[in-house]
Amino acid sequence: ADIISTVEFNHTGELLATGDKGGRVVIFQREQESKNQPHRRGEYNVYSTFQSHEPEFDYLKSLEIEEKINKIRWLPQQNAAYFLLSTNDKTVKLWKVSERDKRPEGYNLKDEDGRLRDPSMITVLRVPVLRPMDLMVEATPRRVFANAHTYHINSISVNSDYETYMSADDLRINLWNFEITNQSFNIVDIKPANMEELTEVITAAEFHPHHCNTFVYSSSKGTIRLCDMRTSALCDHHAKFFEEPEDPSNRSFFSEIISSISDVKFSHSGRYIMTRDYLTVKVWDLNMENRPIETYQVHDYLRSKLCSLYENDCIFDKFECVWNGSDSVIMTGSYNNFFRMFDRNTKRDVTLEASRENSKPRAILKPRKVCVGGKRRKDEISVDSLDFSKKILHTAWHPSENIIAVAATNNLYIFQDKVN
Amino acid sequence: MEFKLEAHRIVSISLGKIYSARGQRGGLKLHKNLLVSLVLRSARQVYLSEPGCPPEPPPIAAPEEQPPPPQDQAARLPAADCREPRPRGCGCCGEATCGAAAPPTPPPCPRKRSAGERGQAGSPVKRPRREVEEEPPPGEQEDMETGNVASLISIFGSSFSGLLSKEPKARRRDPRDGGDATETTEPGQICCDEPVLRTLNPWSTAIVAF
Repeated sequence: ADIISTVEFNHTGELLATGDKGGRVVIFQREQESKNQPHRRGEYNVYSTFQSHEPEFDYLKSLEIEEKINKIRWLPQQNAAYFLLSTNDKTVKLWKVSERDKRPEGYNLKDEDGRLRDPSMITVLRVPVLRPMDLMVEATPRRVFANAHTYHINSISVNSDYETYMSADDLRINLWNFEITNQSFNIVDIKPANMEELTEVITAAEFHPHHCNTFVYSSSKGTIRLCDMRTSALCDHHAKFFEEPEDPSNRSFFSEIISSISDVKFSHSGRYIMTRDYLTVKVWDLNMENRPIETYQVHDYLRSKLCSLYENDCIFDKFECVWNGSDSVIMTGSYNNFFRMFDRNTKRDVTLEASRENSKPRAILKPRKVCVGGKRRKDEISVDSLDFSKKILHTAWHPSENIIAVAATNNLYIFQDKVN
Repeated sequence: MEFKLEAHRIVSISLGKIYSARGQRGGLKLHKNLLVSLVLRSARQVYLSEPGCPPEPPPIAAPEEQPPPPQDQAARLPAADCREPRPRGCGCCGEATCGAAAPPTPPPCPRKRSAGERGQAGSPVKRPRREVEEEPPPGEQEDMETGNVASLISIFGSSFSGLLSKEPKARRRDPRDGGDATETTEPGQICCDEPVLRTLNPWSTAIVAF
């Protein structure tokens, strides 16, 4: 199994897609709950697996293009088939995933194996009929949106009009129509005329969940810009600019790196945005630009270790963050296969671990605690014992239920509320 | 002094990252290299501004570093700059002789190049006005010469925002001309302006990514 690079539930939560470093997409489907087995409350099983992207070579630039799937985004379901967008560094693809449970039998000109019959041997004509067959799930690429990004694509986001979507790379954001693959509109371009003057890059972008003219993008400088596509074709000028003043007491060599935003997500309500930087998760009210309304410390005990984390490259890890269906709880990952949840109402938080030893089926996850200094209690783990190679970068929350998917390197964990 | 040591260490780590980033699969990661260059810049600023920075040029200094008298602040800076990337292997100063200005225990210098080589390699690369320069190994030159968009980052020793307003012309340089002479003399005066360097916004940066 390869390292999982993205996890995403579809809009109903029936399907869960994962993309990995090898360019593969694996889709899980939730079992229908049955009266016979009430304790098996809708487990997820593999539904479809396909190779979305292959490694490519850009001959002009003499660069290899990685096949790693950076993001998957589902389209809302409009017919029996499922559609999703998957992207690597350079190319976005629209995949159709559909079921086939019948096949035609009784052709005249070919036999059941597909071999052609000799027309002179045919004496009787018949009408082919559809007969049931074992369910087969097939994935076909319906559109390929290529050659629009010079830099690495970090985000894709489906618009609420379901007709367009955007793809964002380090310096540009393009708007696509699902039907048109040979052109896209460039809506944001922050590339300076002189690359030597480059000071920030785009790190994530997302459309507003309800307003199809509005989107946000985050930067490596820790700022978020909200843009309105009605104002102009090129949205280089933001409608809103969200930035928190820097705390001068926390200045260090690495202040810039840790303020770089790795993920930005609208709340389901569309009223808030959540951003993740290296040490914190912040919730912003769209109506207040000068500071976030909530800040949660994910793993502040790492603040004194930034130099080592810089050395081993961990400081560049890009953690994602997610809202639950009601926007009351937010979740994000950390190291040592820990992930954190913050309840915005009760202000309580919990640290959980995704590991095989702790996760027997239907076992209840035990909260974990990191010991910062002084005496270490029995169940606590000290900061120096944390395994920084076990990082949870990608998590997903079911749109309406308390089911979460957590990607721990090459393992996928699915947790749900305990059944009473 | 502690800060200086840490700054020094961070500079060497950063340069190592930039160097190894070029061979990475998937091409240059612009975001990561931007961040590394920011760290490099701020560490360098601290290193330069620390009082412990010795003013003497290295024992076997480049020719243009020796003539300036010790009290000439401007000339101190080239020397200080020159020592910066030492841990990486003397890629600095762009002068072949700087390679000789080695620290007591120098690591191998993979980037030492002759002045002639540098002239060639400069073609698609914006060469810095200062001697502190990331120089790609000969293999990289071929990539650049053929116009390939191989990953390349040049770290510039001073901020562009301050210098642009002063002398924009100074930055424009035909890479194919002699190179060395024009580089060190013409923009040298401006770059060596220590008060300017000290007041520079430490967070401004320069990256040339191809």
